[in-house]
Amino acid sequence: MPLDEARVGDTYVPPRRALADGLAIREVEMIYRRGNQTVAALSGCNLDVPAGSWVSLIGASGCGKSTLLRILSDIVKPTSGTALLGGMTPAEARAARRFALVSQSAVMLPWRKVLANVELGLEVARVGRAERRRRAEAAIEMVGLKGFERAYPSELSGGMRQRAAIARALTLKPAYLFMDEPFGALDELTRDRLNFELLRILEETKATLLLVTHSISEAIILSDTVVVMSPRPGRITHRVDVGFGHHRTPEMRDDPRFGRLESEVRHALGHSMSS
Amino acid sequence: MSPARAATVLVPPAILVVALVVVWGWMSAHGLIANYLLPAPWVLLMAIIDNASELLRHGTATTIEALGGFAIGSLLGVVAAILLASSRRLRQCFFPLALASQAVPIAAITPLIVLLIGRGLPSILTVVGIAAFFPMLINMTRGLREADIGYHELLHSLSASGAQRLRMIELPAALPYMFAALKVSASASFITAIVGEWIGSNVGLGYLIVISGQYFKIPTLWAAVVVAAALTLVLVGLVSLAERLAMPWAPKEPAQ
Repeated sequence: MPLDEARVGDTYVPPRRALADGLAIREVEMIYRRGNQTVAALSGCNLDVPAGSWVSLIGASGCGKSTLLRILSDIVKPTSGTALLGGMTPAEARAARRFALVSQSAVMLPWRKVLANVELGLEVARVGRAERRRRAEAAIEMVGLKGFERAYPSELSGGMRQRAAIARALTLKPAYLFMDEPFGALDELTRDRLNFELLRILEETKATLLLVTHSISEAIILSDTVVVMSPRPGRITHRVDVGFGHHRTPEMRDDPRFGRLESEVRHALGHSMSS
Repeated sequence: MSPARAATVLVPPAILVVALVVVWGWMSAHGLIANYLLPAPWVLLMAIIDNASELLRHGTATTIEALGGFAIGSLLGVVAAILLASSRRLRQCFFPLALASQAVPIAAITPLIVLLIGRGLPSILTVVGIAAFFPMLINMTRGLREADIGYHELLHSLSASGAQRLRMIELPAALPYMFAALKVSASASFITAIVGEWIGSNVGLGYLIVISGQYFKIPTLWAAVVVAAALTLVLVGLVSLAERLAMPWAPKEPAQ
């Protein structure tokens, strides 16, 4: 059993040297108006994500989990309530480049080669050419894309594009990494490998992770806390503490607790659907 | 383009051209085509060789007008499109007028422009420039707004400025539209320059065509037509080549 016995059962305590304070979401509400109808995409949403910890949001379509990520990324503004990233509003955090967003579709600019795509964030931040190159190459190496720097995105597989998108997110050394179903479009095997590569990168960078996923096992593998949400109105219904500690290996799935957690999350999801 | 593909693209039209020239020559030799309407192929060829220096002089003048007007009009079209794409209000004011302007035949306003500016290069450049400006304006205004919403969200999350967005996503996304406009106005620019020369110049292939017609030098007239067509083809070819070089990420050889 390769799991570090000392950590089993511990709830994860973020290291003091974590890059930033955590995320705080208070009474966030998001209401869309369509004609006379109003749809509550999020209602009474409260969530704390300690710095350096990993949290995943899981739930049926329309439960507002992507909306929550888009609020934190300053793409949309909530109808009411506050979302803070280490004490900053999303707009301030965006201006300070404290977070990076990786979306499901692995957005790559088709006219830029992989290296230039990975450098994009640094280029926007007006980082010098040599420094840009150095950091992009390091990030490309970290995600295992070395040798593909000169390829166009159209020449890459879906998994490779997603790695490039993660590399781009890492170049700015974000304190918060927001991922919206980053591996949703990938096959099971690729997805599994990337899950554990992401864990290794997270341990290295100490970033706080907020992940939206549809996969129960991915949620458990990649989080300290699985947050279960339900639709109409979108809200948080359950929290499941994973308690595996960090330094995870693929063998964690053979741990009997993994199966128990899976069924716990599945029941919470079923419950949230019927409620 | 691979040699094999080049052959499949170039050989069939070449065969057709040769066949047409043979039929044309046969009909001319048997008096089936009036020589004063269309001279025999060899007469036309001799007219081109005999008038080489004159064709060069007039051809150069027309090329300068066509290329100059093409470049100026296209460039101003891009600049105007960037302005229109940046402001909804500007777009609402000007875009319908830009579309309506396409209904105005350029040949009809040419005399007016010559009257305003006077005969010679500036008025021809203006006419050609106008002909290149509007297709570019219309295409680019559309193209600049074609960048994927995902690209915009990405640049937004990176806190990019408006100028960075323009340079990094809006202009590259608009390139196919820009080249569509360039191809249209590349072929239009020689036509427009020649039409302009009919009334606004005493040099150029258009002038040569008019003069040759008046003096009934039909072979010279046809020689000028052939040179004008060849120049247009060269410019359109150069634009296509530039398109391929400017967008190395785009699929190079469309599936057939």
